Amino acid sequence: MNSVITLTLPGDIRFSRLASQTASNTASLFTDTCNAGAGNWEFSHAFELAVSEAFTNAVNYGDRMQGTRNITITFTIEQRKLTVAIRDANAPFSAETPEPDIETYPEHGYGLMLIRTLMDTVTICRENGENVITMTKQL
Amino acid sequence: MTITETLSSGITIVELCGTIDASTAPELQRHQAISDPTQTIVIDLARLDFLDSSGLGAIIGAARRKEESGANMLLSCMNQKVRRVFDITGTVRLFHIFDETAAAIDYATTLRKSQ
Repeated sequence: MNSVITLTLPGDIRFSRLASQTASNTASLFTDTCNAGAGNWEFSHAFELAVSEAFTNAVNYGDRMQGTRNITITFTIEQRKLTVAIRDANAPFSAETPEPDIETYPEHGYGLMLIRTLMDTVTICRENGENVITMTKQL
Repeated sequence: MTITETLSSGITIVELCGTIDASTAPELQRHQAISDPTQTIVIDLARLDFLDSSGLGAIIGAARRKEESGANMLLSCMNQKVRRVFDITGTVRLFHIFDETAAAIDYATTLRKSQ
């Protein structure tokens, strides 16, 4: 049976750490449940980092509109797979971001690169007037 | 996040503790020793628990401005989680990274003498 955990936060960057820590804790719970070992820091850190990046993107897009809306984070725990979906009702988000050119010391543009490297699958879509980024990772 | 500054052999060591993400990166960017483009510093990351791309961007921006002014930013004592962010993004090659802060201070002192 799947377990679903939902967290709704204001679209305010001050809540980014709460989002990422919740992701880390949920991933740790998942690995413990799967008897994957407490030393599986890479799995928990992958979710901690990916959710931090996705939450920041959602807030930043909200700032471009007048007024930021709530951001909903849903974790779905399956037998050997953890999924997190982050939804916001802000302006449409473009996933067509070019990878940064390291030689020029760019300060931005690493978020999606990190997410795509850390997760097994990443989908970004517009659904019912919301941006939805869904990320999964298997043990 | 807390930022602690000490001086060793004339080199400023900035110790970062806690979390650097989008909510705390602006504070890092405003810190005097980090934002001063002419000051060579060592950043000790031993007590940094978490870094995301916002924090990485703040560090890269400050390092670039220092380099343009002939100064340097050296990094020391990265834990596995912080190192992973530098490795994945490829930005690890933009920095001199040391396992021990003492070695970073020695290198910074050498750089200063050669300038």
